[in-house]
Amino acid sequence: MTKLTRRELLAAAITGTATLCCPSLSRAFWPSGRQAESDASAGPDDITGHIFKNSAPDEPWKWAREAFDYIGTSDLKTTCMICPHECELSPGDRGICRSKVNIDGTLYSLSYGDPCAVHLDPVEKKPLFHFKPRTTAFSIAAAGCNFRCLNCQNWEISQARPEELRHYEMFPPDVVKAAKQTGAASIAYTYSEAVTFFEYMYDTAGIAKAAGISNLLISNGFVNKAPLDALCDVIDGANINLKSFDDSIYRKLNGGRLKPVLQTLKTLHNRKVHLEITNLVVPGYTDDYNMFKRMCAWILEALGPDHPLHLLRFFPKYKLNRLPPTPVDTLTDFRKTAMQAGIRYVYVGNVPGHEGTNTYCHNCKKMLIRRHGYLITQYNIKNEKCKFCGASIPGVWS
Amino acid sequence: MKKNRNTSALNGVIIATGVSSVVTQLLTVREFLAQFEGNEFVIAVVLFNWLVLGGTGTLLARLFEKKRSPSYPRLLGWLSLAASAMPVLHILIIRALRDIFFIHGSMAGFYGFFLFSLLTTAPYCLLVGFLLPLGLLAIRARIPSYPGAMVYMADNAGDIAGGALFSFVLVFFLSPMQALLLSGLPLLFCSAYLLRSEKVTVSRLLPAAAATGGVLLAGVLLELPSITPPEGQLVDYHESRYSRITVIKQAGQYTLFSDGRPIAGSANRQQAEETAHYPLSQLKRPDSVMLVSAVSGVIKEVFKHHPENVDYVELDPEISDAMFRYNLLAPRKNVTVINRDARLVLAGSDKKYNAIIVCMPDPDTFQTNRFYTESFFELARGHLTKDGVLAFSMEGFDAYLTETDREKISVVYNTAARVFPHVTILPSEKIFFLCTNRPVNPDIPGLLKEKKVPTEYISGFFYGNVTPERIAYINLLLDRSAPVNTDTRPVLMKLMFDRWFTLFSESRHIFYIVSGLLLLIWLVRIDRGGFVLFSNGAAHMASEIIAIFAFQIFFGYIYFQIGLIVTMFLAGLLPGAWIGNRLKARSRTAIIGLDFFLVALLGAFTFLAYRLGSRMPPVSYLVFGFLVSWACGFQFTAILQRFGDTDRHATGAFSADLVGAAFGALLASVLLIPNIGIAGTAAVLIAVKLLSIIAVGTDHDKTHKT
Repeated sequence: MTKLTRRELLAAAITGTATLCCPSLSRAFWPSGRQAESDASAGPDDITGHIFKNSAPDEPWKWAREAFDYIGTSDLKTTCMICPHECELSPGDRGICRSKVNIDGTLYSLSYGDPCAVHLDPVEKKPLFHFKPRTTAFSIAAAGCNFRCLNCQNWEISQARPEELRHYEMFPPDVVKAAKQTGAASIAYTYSEAVTFFEYMYDTAGIAKAAGISNLLISNGFVNKAPLDALCDVIDGANINLKSFDDSIYRKLNGGRLKPVLQTLKTLHNRKVHLEITNLVVPGYTDDYNMFKRMCAWILEALGPDHPLHLLRFFPKYKLNRLPPTPVDTLTDFRKTAMQAGIRYVYVGNVPGHEGTNTYCHNCKKMLIRRHGYLITQYNIKNEKCKFCGASIPGVWS
Repeated sequence: MKKNRNTSALNGVIIATGVSSVVTQLLTVREFLAQFEGNEFVIAVVLFNWLVLGGTGTLLARLFEKKRSPSYPRLLGWLSLAASAMPVLHILIIRALRDIFFIHGSMAGFYGFFLFSLLTTAPYCLLVGFLLPLGLLAIRARIPSYPGAMVYMADNAGDIAGGALFSFVLVFFLSPMQALLLSGLPLLFCSAYLLRSEKVTVSRLLPAAAATGGVLLAGVLLELPSITPPEGQLVDYHESRYSRITVIKQAGQYTLFSDGRPIAGSANRQQAEETAHYPLSQLKRPDSVMLVSAVSGVIKEVFKHHPENVDYVELDPEISDAMFRYNLLAPRKNVTVINRDARLVLAGSDKKYNAIIVCMPDPDTFQTNRFYTESFFELARGHLTKDGVLAFSMEGFDAYLTETDREKISVVYNTAARVFPHVTILPSEKIFFLCTNRPVNPDIPGLLKEKKVPTEYISGFFYGNVTPERIAYINLLLDRSAPVNTDTRPVLMKLMFDRWFTLFSESRHIFYIVSGLLLLIWLVRIDRGGFVLFSNGAAHMASEIIAIFAFQIFFGYIYFQIGLIVTMFLAGLLPGAWIGNRLKARSRTAIIGLDFFLVALLGAFTFLAYRLGSRMPPVSYLVFGFLVSWACGFQFTAILQRFGDTDRHATGAFSADLVGAAFGALLASVLLIPNIGIAGTAAVLIAVKLLSIIAVGTDHDKTHKT
């Protein structure tokens, strides 16, 4: 048992007296206890979004389509089956994601052909390091998200309703045509949450696939298995943001849940969709070493060693703006830990110049790809194999 | 003799309560700034809640005014004893509950913050508000004819002493808990003295006083544990004049926080490179560079361009010291650190710079707004060489620009474009503005390559992030008809306030409607005297905000002078009330005359401030503060004497004054100045005072007249 110093004893005694009415105060002020306390236990426990009652438009607008997968009932209620929230909506209600509405007993997506963000990005920006490097991805997003991440990088569009945003008019054939014009090798469904504009993504991906353009799902992975299975028929690659390996942190920082995301990773793996995983290391929340080790063990067991893992440095953003950035040493340690555990390709993101931005052969350890930002200055993969030892390198390289 | 002794003991408690409560109020404002957002809206909300709760506490005394119990002095003694220790619990509760009500590390929305502030300050404010009229009732239990104005004066004397003590002594030398200990001790002793003189036995008094002292001492011991964040080791902590400075070490990384927000950290290469190289790449050889504040690593990047000298202007010496101490900035021989307001530095110098790089946060305070106004851009342009560049950045966007941000960017662009022929926007993670006399070449990596300046972030990421398509996107969205941001009409602050609501999908209109309705209900219920006192409190507080704001605009942020202005706005209350009491002034003419005096004073001050600007002698701000508070103090006693100095009227008067001050603070800071500027705010105050004149002028109740 740890011994108390006289000073600590005095402090504890006075604290106890002074805060008799509120026991939680003593806990908060007790120095050693405070250090040991997990942040995840402080503050509201769950920030999951809620259904918006009576906020649907009276009738579907031009950019509305009947939802891909839902259950309707005789009393005109609908249950959206796209994501695990499975919002049950009465007529006039809007789902958690803000883009699905029940109008007179039919569930509509309001995000069909109305992307609010359209950009051409290097595929490395997604990030996808093992998918057609040095190509560009025609990136689109429509409004909405089924999460409420406090550090959202795209809160402007993810936490908004489709009707509130300026948008382009680009129906699926238009997207494919525009992607072709820009010379993009792929179309990325990204920025906000692609699952919330599932219908638009699914139809676009189908046309793009037929036209020889790849499709990339950049997502939080909070999607039901059935629609994901359907989507797997038309997408080629995915980056899933595994935000933490703790359900309570998922609820607290993201308003989501862990289990469905793990199921998504397994489905994508089983369906042999090219998969990379992103993990943002947030100080005080997802930088717990033991939790990270558990995460690595799960990845190895469930998905194997070949899916690249991107460890991203956190910077204060959106509402989560009172935490320090992730120490670079933490990311370096985590990368080492993950690689020692057996994950073959582990990258460090948001740290320009870090060794962990390069690709090293898992077999001979020689450098395969030297990256300088989005630029590739060395490339030693030939016919999907290491140029030095001939080991097969997982990914889609051409 | 006994009566006198009792009166002096009671007055001692009232004065000591004033000292302790003002110190606590100032520390509470600072605590909320440190725990939430460091902006004027937070200050306005905290003051609003404080004053409204104080007014409510004052009204609670009406429950006691029907009978004059001889036990009131003793009740006052016990409650004051509690009040001497409560500030410690009050601050500790704010610190502890912050992470229980809100998620650790996250900001709070306006309504969440408003509610939190209301709930956490309620116990102390209600008690302190209650103590003032209880003091009057306690004295009147001994001397029934004791004038209410005397209690008002005693309270003011305590307030002035507390304000001066904090602004000129405590803030420089003591931590919050030490300051609370020091300001709480006089109240502890005065309460104990009062209780003893009320024949409370030593056996009862001593344990109570010891427990109170124990709580005050415990606060000091709990200072560091209560501010240490869980995700790192607290290696530095200073309460500077401007904010709470902390440095956290985690896994070999240092992060510098100002008021709880990380402002600099190790290894933030992107920020340093973008800040330095976007402007400096445009110059062949930047000899002289001014940095207005800094981001970590920026000096190292600046020196890749081989300047002869760099002036690093940082208002708060604690920040610049910490930046160098923790290697967030690399020390160089030819870097001059200037710890003054950058606008003052520029105004007082003829030096020309090749580049002025402003690293200030977005303009959500009156202080930072001054670096995004037309006057500042003119000042900066006057200190730039012919090919010089002014650079600054604002919070940016990843894939989409919200309407609020679009308006914000448009306002800044339009303001800069009035001064500079070329304003270039580079939308990276932050939105960078380059203001120049000649066109800017946006191919930054190309320019840096030519200059042989090595970079890690810009050379690798620029072309993927700052694409021509993104530049075209933001330029297309600029609203050329957006208003210009000026010193006296800070429209950007209003947009920043809107942004706060946008972040949380909240509507500010609910707040305006609810507070407006509450105000209306209040105004309907009070009598003429109450309305005059309400207008008095509002004019007093809003004039103070106008004076501080105008002073900052024209003379820069000078902590000492602003402290003096705040003190002068308290200092006149006492002599004003004293003269009013001595003259037994209660005529309608006197009250109307004072109203006219306030109207003339506000009008003249605003007119001269606009007309003369920085040529208006700084001492005139002090004179203005003194005269406003003198007139308000005078009018308070005059109203009290005209409309009746009964217990009921006195408590009503104290309350009306506090509620008026609450709405004055809120309206001036949050609504009026950001929307209609200083002149418009002064006009509204003059209108309120004219209504007050009408209220008194149409009061024909002869029983009031002398």
